[in-house]
Amino acid sequence: MTTEERAGRTAQQREDRELLRRYHEDGDTSARERLIARHLPLVRSLARRYAGRGEPLEDIEQVGAIGLIKAIDRFDLEREVSLATYATPNVVGEIKRHFRDKGWAIRVPRSLQELNARMSGAIDDLTGLLGHSPSVAEIAQSLGTTTEEVLEALEVGSAYSALSLDAGPGSDDDNDPMDTIGAEDEEFDRSEDRVTLSPALQRLPDREREILRMRFEEGLPQTQIAERVGLSQMHVSRLIRRSLATMREELG
Amino acid sequence: MPTERIELEAPLDDAFQGVIRLVVGGIAEQASLGLEAMDDLQLAIERLLAETGGDGRVKISFELADSGGVRARIGPLREQPLNAALRESDGETGTLSLQRILATVVDSFGVEREADGEIVVRMEKLGPARS
Repeated sequence: MTTEERAGRTAQQREDRELLRRYHEDGDTSARERLIARHLPLVRSLARRYAGRGEPLEDIEQVGAIGLIKAIDRFDLEREVSLATYATPNVVGEIKRHFRDKGWAIRVPRSLQELNARMSGAIDDLTGLLGHSPSVAEIAQSLGTTTEEVLEALEVGSAYSALSLDAGPGSDDDNDPMDTIGAEDEEFDRSEDRVTLSPALQRLPDREREILRMRFEEGLPQTQIAERVGLSQMHVSRLIRRSLATMREELG
Repeated sequence: MPTERIELEAPLDDAFQGVIRLVVGGIAEQASLGLEAMDDLQLAIERLLAETGGDGRVKISFELADSGGVRARIGPLREQPLNAALRESDGETGTLSLQRILATVVDSFGVEREADGEIVVRMEKLGPARS
C-alpha cells in the first residue's frame, strides 16, 4: 500500500468514526444511512465470494447488508478498530448463516445452481433486446442449454427457503434493514392512505409492499417493476411469491 | 392441430409444489408463453391451491389453445374458503385478496361445479399474440 493509499484509508476511517459517533451519540439516522452506503461496496465484494452457489448475487448482497447494519448498530465507539474490519466478519457470518439456515434444503446439482446464477442477467438482457419477456426457449438458446434445464434452474431458484422478511438488524426496536436501504416512495404513502392495511401487509418491508402495490394495484409487469426498483425480473418474481406466502401464513 | 390436453394429479403437499410448478412451466413453454406469463400462471395456481386447496389431492388439467395460451382447470377445491376468498375485497381485508391476485395474473377465471358436485376453478392465460 502506498503512502497516499494509507492516508486515504485513514481519512475514511476518521469519517466513519465521526459518522458512528453522530449515529450512536446523537441519534443521527442520516449518519447511519451514509455509513451503510459507504460500506455497501464492501458487502458486494464479500458477497461475490459466495456467488455461483445457486443463490442470486443480489440476494446474497441483501443478506450481507443485514450483517453490515448489525455491525453499524452494534459498533462500540470504545473499540480501536475500523468499521470495515469490524463489519467484515459480521457480513460474512450473516451470509454463511443464511446459506446454512435458509439455504438449499435439498442437494441441487452444481450445474443447475450455476445456470440459475447466470440466468438472471440473461433474462434481463434478453428482455431489453427482444422488447418482451423472453420465452424459456429463448433463454435456453442464449445460454446454450435446453429448455428442460432452464425450467429446472428456474425451479431451483424458487426452491430455497425465503430469507426471513422480518430479519432485523439487531434489537426488536430496530427498523427493518430493507426499510433503511429502500428509497421512500410518495406514491406508496398515498396508496397506504387508501386502505387500512392488515398487520400482515404492514409487516412486510416497504420495498416488498411497494412491489405488491405496483404489481396488483398499478398492474405493472415484473420487468417494469424490476426497472423501477433496480432489481432483476427474477428477483421481483421471488419477492412477490414470498410476500404473498408470508402474508397468507400470518393470516393463518 | 387439435387442442392438446394434459392432466396432472398430485398430492396437495408442500413437497409437490415444485413438481406442479415445473409441469406448469413446461406446459407454458409449449404454449409459447413468455417467462412473465409463465410466472403469472404458476403464481395463480400456487395461490389458489394455498388458499383453497383441500388436504388430499388436486387434479389440474391443461389445454393448449390453438391460438396460443393455456386453459387450466383446478380442483377439487374447498367451497367455503374459495367463496370467501373470491368475495373478499382488498378494502375489507386490508390485504391482497385472491380475487385481486387472480384478476391481475390471468386473463380470465371462474368457478364451476362439476357433475359430481366438486368445485373447480378454470382460468386462462392467453398467448403472446393476444396478451
